[in-house]
Formats: sequence, structure tokens, C-alpha cells
Amino acid sequence: MPESGLTWTVYDADKMTQREIYGAVLADLGDKHPEIVGLSADLAKSTKIGTFGDKFPDRFFNFGIAEQNMFAVAAGLAKAGLTPFVSTFSAFASMRACEFVRTDVCYQNLNVKIIATHGGTSFGSGGATHHATEDLSIVRAFPNMKLVVPADAIETAHAVIACMRTPGPVYVRIGRGFEPRVYEKTEYDFEIGRAVEMKPGRDITVIATGVTVFHAVQAAKILEADDKLSVRVINMHTIKPIDRDAIMKALTETRRIITVEDHNYIGGLGAAVAEVIAESGKGCAFQRVGIPDCFISHGYPEDLMNLYGIDTDGIVAKVRDVMGREFETDEDWEDEV
Amino acid sequence: MATEQELLAARIICRAVLPVIKVMIEDNPKLGRKFQGVTAKVQFVAEDPAGPVGAYLQFTDGAFEVVQGLAEDPDLVFRFANVAKMIGMFAGKPVLPSLGPLLKGLVTKPGLLINVFGVLLGMKLLMPTAKPKTPEMARLKVKMTLYMVSTALSQLNKGGDPDMIKWTEKQPERIYQWSVKDTDIACYLKIKAGQTKAGRGEYTRRKPFVHMIFRDIDAALAVLSNSVDTVSAIGMGLVENDGSPEYGGKIGDFMLKIAGMLS
Amino acid sequence: MALTSQERTDLKRIGREIRETIVDVTGWSGGAHIGGSLSMTEIVTILYWKYLRIDPKNPKWEDRDRFVLSKGHGGVGHGVVLCKRGFFDFKHLEEYNHTDSMLGMHLDSKKVPGVEVSTGSMGHGLGEAVGLALGARVLKKDWRVYCVIGDGESNEGSIWEAAMAAAHYKLSHLIGFLDRNRMMIDGPTEEVMSLEPVADKWKAFGWNTRVVDGHDLDALADAIEAAQAHTGSPTMIVCNTVKGKGVKFMEDDPAWHYGGLNSELVQKAKASIAEM
Repeated sequence: MPESGLTWTVYDADKMTQREIYGAVLADLGDKHPEIVGLSADLAKSTKIGTFGDKFPDRFFNFGIAEQNMFAVAAGLAKAGLTPFVSTFSAFASMRACEFVRTDVCYQNLNVKIIATHGGTSFGSGGATHHATEDLSIVRAFPNMKLVVPADAIETAHAVIACMRTPGPVYVRIGRGFEPRVYEKTEYDFEIGRAVEMKPGRDITVIATGVTVFHAVQAAKILEADDKLSVRVINMHTIKPIDRDAIMKALTETRRIITVEDHNYIGGLGAAVAEVIAESGKGCAFQRVGIPDCFISHGYPEDLMNLYGIDTDGIVAKVRDVMGREFETDEDWEDEV
Repeated sequence: MATEQELLAARIICRAVLPVIKVMIEDNPKLGRKFQGVTAKVQFVAEDPAGPVGAYLQFTDGAFEVVQGLAEDPDLVFRFANVAKMIGMFAGKPVLPSLGPLLKGLVTKPGLLINVFGVLLGMKLLMPTAKPKTPEMARLKVKMTLYMVSTALSQLNKGGDPDMIKWTEKQPERIYQWSVKDTDIACYLKIKAGQTKAGRGEYTRRKPFVHMIFRDIDAALAVLSNSVDTVSAIGMGLVENDGSPEYGGKIGDFMLKIAGMLS
Repeated sequence: MALTSQERTDLKRIGREIRETIVDVTGWSGGAHIGGSLSMTEIVTILYWKYLRIDPKNPKWEDRDRFVLSKGHGGVGHGVVLCKRGFFDFKHLEEYNHTDSMLGMHLDSKKVPGVEVSTGSMGHGLGEAVGLALGARVLKKDWRVYCVIGDGESNEGSIWEAAMAAAHYKLSHLIGFLDRNRMMIDGPTEEVMSLEPVADKWKAFGWNTRVVDGHDLDALADAIEAAQAHTGSPTMIVCNTVKGKGVKFMEDDPAWHYGGLNSELVQKAKASIAEM
């Protein structure tokens, strides 16, 4: 049994979506951890926490379409000494139940693990009412909360397992499944709070999270082949606590940073990175890529991502745009003696 | 009429080779003393139908700089019949500039000619075949060579070498760094969208795109004198190429080109 | 089992003492939610002195009963009760509302021994009580959960979400109390957002519902014991109470939802309580 506790390979991950792996991992963890209980708000099938529910019916509770109560109950269960995994769509976890997540779970610093699905544009056909494009900026501001956005199914599995060894509230935001595989290996060093360098590079850094990590890696390949650019790609799976060191390293070594997220460009990954850059006092060409502060029409998520420039093509275009930008004030091209 | 290549070589001599005299004077105290308090202009000029090509050394109370073009009232003039001959002299070929104007210098500033010859002899250190006799001289040679090369590459671009231009115009801002481990010898070439700038020391604003790190002075000597080719040198650990191997190789090629132009 | 005459006398006395201390704390702290704390005094007194299985010297005792004050603004009332019951020293009441002191308007479960849930925002505590009750079931424990909610608080949808869930999961070890003092900040509840018929609502939501005089200790005792014996559904005891009960000039006046008392009013209030 590998160190991480994962019993599937990337090949299994290919066959399972992010949500399915989550359900499967949780069901496995349930064996070793009798204190795990599962909660759903009528989305057990959609969020796949139902897999856990099928295996442990006495430890799974559905609350119907009542998210606020679900989180209050989760807090109560945590107070009783259990470890609740709560699942619903990220739009509802972060907005409908916002106060309950903040006041019941975070303020009391309880061991509640929130697996929020359908983040970003991933429930594209649901339209704006079901898009979660402000969730990261909302949840990021809750003290005590850890915020993780896994890039693919395998990373989701790692995140769920990491929940168990991380005390206090954790919010894991995943897609709808069908997000492309990013990792080639099941085992890699996954640690909440530590970014993963997907690809080294020296000309510019793309910091991505969630489904956009795959696109950033693709974009880097294209830029390398076509433009002969050396693009560093960082998977910032943990938005909070953010990996400051990785950002500073990218800043000083490449001096150009782009952030990409399936989220409004206000308040999420881009803002978190910008905070680090601005406070460092060091010059850097910087650009956030995300949904440009608007509500999005319905559509397939891949199309929506393309429309708003957060897919491979969008990242390629943005990198080319930023590469033309000067951040040096030194325009003196005289050779030194 | 000088060819494009000759004019380019002359440009490199005037703008990359001559300035390295500053290093010699600053780092070699014996030589530095000779020019203490000296104020003089030493002109190097080659005749050409399109106009004279050259630069002059300006000593101002001991301070040294190279000024491009013709001086108003030089104390000493090294005049060459054509550009090729000027290149020849700096390549170590047996070339004699015309001596006429030299006599003026002998009269007004005795000792200047001798000291300048001393400098020119010292410049021979830059030649690939020159083997430094002391560790001090070895260090000096490496520093002078690297400074010269970095500037020469920049001048190759500014001077219009088509291959160099093609290579620099597509690149985003990148730093090509040279340094010798455990010494303060370091210089760089900054490239961006067709522009180039040679710089001294270690570039700190970002990580160099290519960093050629010489293991020590001897290793640097071996590589820079081309007694070892770069690939073998890397294999032997004499030099490390930290960064893009393709671009590191390419700049090595340009360095060889410069060596070829000056020989 | 009815109250013995001694129990009744003791509980009445304790109730008066609690009210007097609530008045004192309101006085020296500059202001508190006094009206709603006075209305629930009998409920919390009888729970803390007769029915709750707790150990003040061991507030985290695993098998303790849990009490949740969902109407968290009653913190001053709850704080006085906990202090008197022996959970912490009196000096903390003297520092009530001081910056960063242990006790303030809304009690912090992380700071105050004996407080199970940090409430304050309306509509949270009952849901957490449901969670606690479910937790007891999962862990196969037999401790109970008692929860006091307010009638203004009952406007919140989340109260009814919790009500549905408690009935759905047949949490018969969850016993709720509605402090029905009929007043909220902007006026009488029936004028602001009518709640009646509230007992019918709880019945309709599947709760075993009782209506009692919230200041009648015998009626409360009876209702609680019946609830403890009841199975199959949670119990809601609708307690008809008077906001500001015990202080005549406060009774039934929505203005005393929150207020301050100078020394003159403190004396006047205490004199009124003494006559209870």
C-alpha cells in the first residue's frame, strides 16, 4: 500500500472522474476512520459522496435541499467528536451556506471537511445560478479555513486523504469530473500548502489552479515549440495557505507571472498571488487570467473556458501578450565598460 | 574598401577590445602606476575610402576611457593603411602602423609611447595562444577575455551581423551570464527583441537564461583559449551550462565566431 | 415526578438570585440583552439545577448532556447561570463585555467553560443541536441535547430546516424550548412577522409539542420529564413567557430587548425581583 494510502493508479483515474474518485477514496477512508460521517444536501449522487453513503448507511445523512442546516449539523457532529465530510455544489457551500461555514465551522475551528463540487464553470449548462465563480474569493477570507483546488482526479484523492491529517476546517473545490488528467504518476509529494512545479522554466511563470493546470501545461508545451519560450508552470493547488516561497521564486527568477483560474479574476488565486507580489516590493510583470467579473451564459464548460480565455489557447495568447511587456525601468542599452 | 566583416571586426576592436585596457590598468598596479596623473590621447585609426575608422584612448589625470572616432589633438597616433591592417595588429600579426606622428609624441610626452607599447604588449594576453606566467596574469586574462567577449557579442548585434540579429530579434528578455566560481569575475549579455547590452558582474534582477559557470581560472583559460571544446569541457567539469542547452550552445558558437574575426 | 416543595423553593430562590445578578451585570457592563435573559430564567434554572447531567468541574466530560442556547443573545443570562452553577469564577462576570475578556454579548464556546456552541447569529444553534444529537446516535451514546430557541429567531428558515431534519431523523433525545416572549426588537412578533399558530407549526413539522407557562416550574418539570420519556420524535416545549419577567418596568416592553441600567434603575429592578 503506497505511502499516500491511494489504492488506484492513474489508469483508474482515467476511468473515474474527480467526483467518483472522491467518493471512492472517502469510502475507503471510512474503513480506517470510524469517526468519518458523510452529509449531503440532496446531491449524493451528483457529488458522489453517495458512494460512501452506500457503504456506511448509518454514517451518512441527507438533509435535503437545506444547505444552511446541513453545515450547522456538520458543526454539531464535529463537536460530538466526529469528522464530517460535507458535500454539495460549491455555489451553495460558499454562498447559500456562507454564514454557516464561516460562523459555525470556521469561527469554532471545527474538524469539518467540505468537498465542494462543480466549481467554476464546470456546471456550465446550469447557467449562472449554478456557476461557482466567486467561491474561492469568499472562502479564502474565512480565518482557519484551508482552501484546496485539486488539478485532477488523482490530486483530488490526495486532497481528501490530506483532509484527514489536517486539523480544522478544509474546503476542497473540485469540478464536475471529466477534467483531464494532469499527473502521470499516482505518487508525488502532495502537501497542503505546497505548490507543485509541473514544468520548469525561466522566461515566464504561469501559476494555475484546478482544471486550468492542465491547460497551463499544454500552453507551455506550445509556447516552447512555437515561440521557443521557456515557461514555468506551477500548480498552486492550495489557495490558502498560499505557497509564498513558490511565488517569490517565480518572481525573482522569471520576473513575469500570470495566474489562471476557473473563477472570477477578483479575489481568488490571482488576488492571492498579487498580494504576495505587491507586498514583496519587487518589480514583476503580472496578469490575472480568469472570468472577467461578469456572469456567464450557459454552455459546455470547455466552450465557456475558451470563451473567457482560461483554456490552453487563452493562456498562450496571454503569455505572448505579457512577454511584450517591460517591467524593467532600465532602458539603457549602452554596453558597460 | 573595407568589407562588412572587416568593419564589424574593427568595430569590435574599437568598442570591445580597447575598453578592456581599463581592466588591465585597474587590476595590474605596476601598469596602473605608469599612467598615474597622465593626461594624453592615443589614437588608433585605419584609413578607408568611406572614412577613417577608429577610436582613441583618453587618459585624464590617470583616469582612462575609450572614445570612439577621431581625437582633436592626439598625443600619439597609430595609423593603419587600411582596416584589415588594424585588425591584423590586434590579431598579433606583424603589422606596423606608420610611425610619423609617433615622433610628435616622443617629444611632448616622453614615456607615453613606451607605456602605451607596454599596454599593447599587455593586450597580447588576450590572444588565445598567450599563456599567462603567473596566477595573477591568468586571472587578468580570464577577466579581460570575458569582458571583451560579452561586449563583442553585443557589438556584433549592434554592428549589424545578420546571424546575430536573427538570433536576438526573436528573443524575449534573457540574460546570458558568465562567471568563474569562487572569484569576483562575472559579466553578462542582456538580450531583448533585437537589443543587446553587455554588463559587468552578476545580473541580479532575474535568473539568467543561460549561465556559463567556469570551475576555476584554469578551467576558464582552457575553455576560452579553445584548447578544449565546450562539449568536452562540460563533460570534464571545466564549465557548467546552467540553462537552455540549445541557447547555451548557440552563444558558444557566436563566441567562436568572434574569436575567428579577431585572428 | 413533580417537584418537591423544597425543590420548588430552592429553584425559585435560585431564579431570583440569577435575575438579580443579570441586573447587576447589565448595570456594570454598560448594557446587555436583559429582556430575553429574564424571560428564559426558569427554563435554564430548572435545566441546570435539576435535569442536565453535567459536571461543572469537568466541562468536557464525555457523557455530559449538551445545552445549546440557539438564541445566543441570551448570553448574559446563560453566563450568569454557568457561573452560579460553578463553571467559572465570578470575576469573569465583572469583566463582562470588556475587550477580549472571557464573557461578552455572545458566548464563545472556545473560551467559556460549559458553552457547547458559539451562537449569536440567529438560526444556527438548533441545527448544531441536531448535529450533536445525530453524533450521539452515531457514537451510541445516551446523552441528551437541550436547545432553547427564540420566537424572533423562528423567522429564520434555517430553524425550520433543522426542525425538518430532527423529525426526519427521529431525534427523540433532542428537547427544544421556544422562549415565546412575543417580543422582538421592532415590536411584538405578531406585528413584525407573525408566527402564530406556532405550536401547530411544530406539530406539523413532526415534533412532539407541548405548550406551558414558561415561568411555572412545575409545568416545566412535567413537560421535561414527559419529553425525556418520549420516543420516536424530538420534543418542542413552547414556553409562554414574559420578556423582562421579574422587573416590572421591563415586562412586555420590546425596548428592553437590550438596555443599560444606571444605579437607580438597578435598585429599582432588584426591588421588583425581590417581590417575586
